[in-house]
Amino acid sequence: MRIWTSEHTFEHSWDTVVTAAWRKYPNPLNPSVVGLDVLDRSIDAEGKLKSHRLMSTSWGMPGWVAKLIGMQESAFASEHSVVDPENKIFTLNSRNLTLSNVLTVNEQLTYSQHPTDPNKTLLKQEATVTVSGLPLCNRLEKMMTDAMTNNANKGRQAMEFVIDKIKKEARELTTEAHKCMDNVLPKTNSL
Amino acid sequence: MKDTHILTMNSVGVECQELKKRYDECFNKWFAEKFLKGHRDDPCQPLFKVYQECVKKALKEKKLDIEQMEIQVLGTDNEKQPPS
Repeated sequence: MRIWTSEHTFEHSWDTVVTAAWRKYPNPLNPSVVGLDVLDRSIDAEGKLKSHRLMSTSWGMPGWVAKLIGMQESAFASEHSVVDPENKIFTLNSRNLTLSNVLTVNEQLTYSQHPTDPNKTLLKQEATVTVSGLPLCNRLEKMMTDAMTNNANKGRQAMEFVIDKIKKEARELTTEAHKCMDNVLPKTNSL
Repeated sequence: MKDTHILTMNSVGVECQELKKRYDECFNKWFAEKFLKGHRDDPCQPLFKVYQECVKKALKEKKLDIEQMEIQVLGTDNEKQPPS
């Protein structure tokens, strides 16, 4: 079992980051994530939003090859998450379902508001890798954790990409609103 | 208003695609504008129920029992721990 952890600070408010997190996919940096479905969602008695999602990823090979070697066309992972809007904490826990009899990759992400700056958000990531319940040997461990570091960086870049996208949408809406106003006002002034 | 949701994710069930899109749009809007501002009522629930039924049906057809798979994963962790 290898534990890999990483911390990162986003220069955006927790509200912005968490909103973007739901819209993280699709993004050009994680092309293998092909499907995402919400299996369950509810608000608990404490006002926390609980979600259970199913993620499908392609193998990076044609579907027919996957079938040929006896795999489903997609690999599946299950993600459980809780949004605590009062304390501004968003935790996500995901693990693979496919090949779980061989290998288990378990990842936890926690987005929380920066303790001193409300315009910043902390992301803490932690992952464990277990092969058939036994610890991985060193070389394979290193390969997995290197891949995770790489993916974590991509994940963060993906978040920045989505945050930019949302901000761009907001700017475009503002521009359109201004245009409408400009069209209306001169006409009324000339009356 | 210009449709800014050009890229969308797929659903596990092709037939659920439209339902998923509508539910996701409802959820994203409600989450940012209402939930984060303290409102607990989720007006997207009716949309979600229909979408959820579709996904359950698609998973059944693909013979994917998610609950069973999750139980198996937990079982693997519990049963195959190396002796400490």
